[in-house]
Amino acid sequence: MRLLIARCRVDYAGRLAAVLPEAVRLILIKADGSVCVHADDRAYKPLNWMNPPCTLREEAGPAGERILRVDSPRGEGLTITVSEVLHDSSHDLGVEPGSTKDGVEAELQRLLAEQPEVLGAGLRLIRREHPTAIGPVDLLLRDAVGVVAVEVKRHAGIDGVEQLTRYLELLNRDPILAPVRGVLAAQQVRPQARTLAGERGIACIVVDYAALRDADEPGDRLF
Amino acid sequence: MKLHLQRDSLMSAVAWAARTLPGRPTQPILAGLRLATTEGFVSLSSFDREVSSVAELATDAVAEQVVILPGRLLADIVKALPHDDVLLEWEGTRATIRSGKVSFSLPTLPAEEYPPLPADPQPIGVIPGADLARCVTQVAIASGKDESLVMLTGIRVEIDGPTMTMAATDRYRLAVQEVAWRCDDDTRQTNLLIPARTLVDVSRSMGQAGDVTIGLAGDAGAERLIGFSAQGRRSTSRLLDAEFPKYRSLLPTESTTEATMATTAVLEAVRRVSIVAERTTPVRCSFAGGELSMRAGSGDDATAEESVEISLAGDPIEIAFNPGFLIDGLAALGTAEVTMAFTEPRKPMVMTSEQAGAYRYLLMPIRLTG
Repeated sequence: MRLLIARCRVDYAGRLAAVLPEAVRLILIKADGSVCVHADDRAYKPLNWMNPPCTLREEAGPAGERILRVDSPRGEGLTITVSEVLHDSSHDLGVEPGSTKDGVEAELQRLLAEQPEVLGAGLRLIRREHPTAIGPVDLLLRDAVGVVAVEVKRHAGIDGVEQLTRYLELLNRDPILAPVRGVLAAQQVRPQARTLAGERGIACIVVDYAALRDADEPGDRLF
Repeated sequence: MKLHLQRDSLMSAVAWAARTLPGRPTQPILAGLRLATTEGFVSLSSFDREVSSVAELATDAVAEQVVILPGRLLADIVKALPHDDVLLEWEGTRATIRSGKVSFSLPTLPAEEYPPLPADPQPIGVIPGADLARCVTQVAIASGKDESLVMLTGIRVEIDGPTMTMAATDRYRLAVQEVAWRCDDDTRQTNLLIPARTLVDVSRSMGQAGDVTIGLAGDAGAERLIGFSAQGRRSTSRLLDAEFPKYRSLLPTESTTEATMATTAVLEAVRRVSIVAERTTPVRCSFAGGELSMRAGSGDDATAEESVEISLAGDPIEIAFNPGFLIDGLAALGTAEVTMAFTEPRKPMVMTSEQAGAYRYLLMPIRLTG
């Protein structure tokens, strides 16, 4: 990871042309080849960036200024003309252990498929990953009242509600399945998501991963 | 640099080294296969920062050089080469592979970005590849898959001089096996936790390789790295830094019922009746008289029953198991006869066989409701 704080002008050429006039900015050059130009605002969002794969060349300009040229095989190019370097350092960050959330989400889905009663008394599994034209529904369950579509998330946000709403709309057009109710099952439900879900008649259920995993009594395990 | 190589030996060396190419590399350079020459040899390697693999080949190299080639692409190309003789050549940022009338030109990756490979661990002993593979296969079936319980995703290896004990458990079953090996120091005592996936992969690949040399790197008692090498193939793996459960106290010391039967007969019977059992529903086993009768399925759903001849010593018992776990253990035994020992329907069953040495497979029964 190389951190460069410099007074620079940035020219982007690609799908459109854009210029950032000369100012002091933070330029992040990552080991994956990506380059991001940050201002001192808008949180994680760079002013301009290049996704890998791309190549970085550094050369001297006609007036002695440093020029960083970043090119991608997609025909995009970022030219950073540096007039003054305020900071330039490189750090080896080593291996990013990464988050394991995908695994947890899949595991959560598996555990809920085995214990659908956690989501409501009398619920039974119809199938996991029920295919629809707009993607698979995580869990399709049934009880005495009807069919329930479940979207499983670690952290449920508004997008989770939107996703489930789309599925419900589609599933409810099927005369065999309709009426289909929606359940958003997550380890954590954001307040906006809960409000939006309530508005649309979708139930939010907070599930405890550790409890699901160890749902069997300790007497059913060796330890 | 120009290297003349023989296709089949190149193919097997590339296949070995490409096994540990990371699927989603944390750095683009790690998707490369590293070729390093010394006079008369070329070594091919990959490294994903956890596991490294190196294969050595004799060739007509004349100097020391390193080149990094796109790994998957190279593996695919080598597999498809039409002729026995292969010429591999590189210069600057391009490499060429020629064989018969085909010629491939690939870009090389920047060698200076490739991280240093872990140094070869210090050899501490030798084990026949077949013994290693058998022991690992028998134990690995019980290892956990849940990444949130890291200590269970490894195989515990206890080195006590000339005896190596391996153990793995996912909390529902526990497999333990001992294997003799030639340790450099008969007083050496070390406990290691090796990622199960890596150990299975290495031992399977080296199963036919004659003697496998095992090495360790790091301070005694706090080893960081284990290495395996056999016939020009080497592999290293980072060890898991987690506490393996104290499993010895789980092994029952006595039993009230012992049933011995033909392994194949019972294995096939479990496979058949479990066709009607869903993944988590049990197979009910009743050991009584000279017979083990098994039932799966219940109520209105499909059901199946089969019985197997056994010789029973002790009290009759009714007990139920996860059929998948039962099949795993029976299949791992690989012996003509199996003995199952019980105390109570709520306590673990122990599977052993006179022909399987010290092997023990502990399996927790499923509670029967109604």
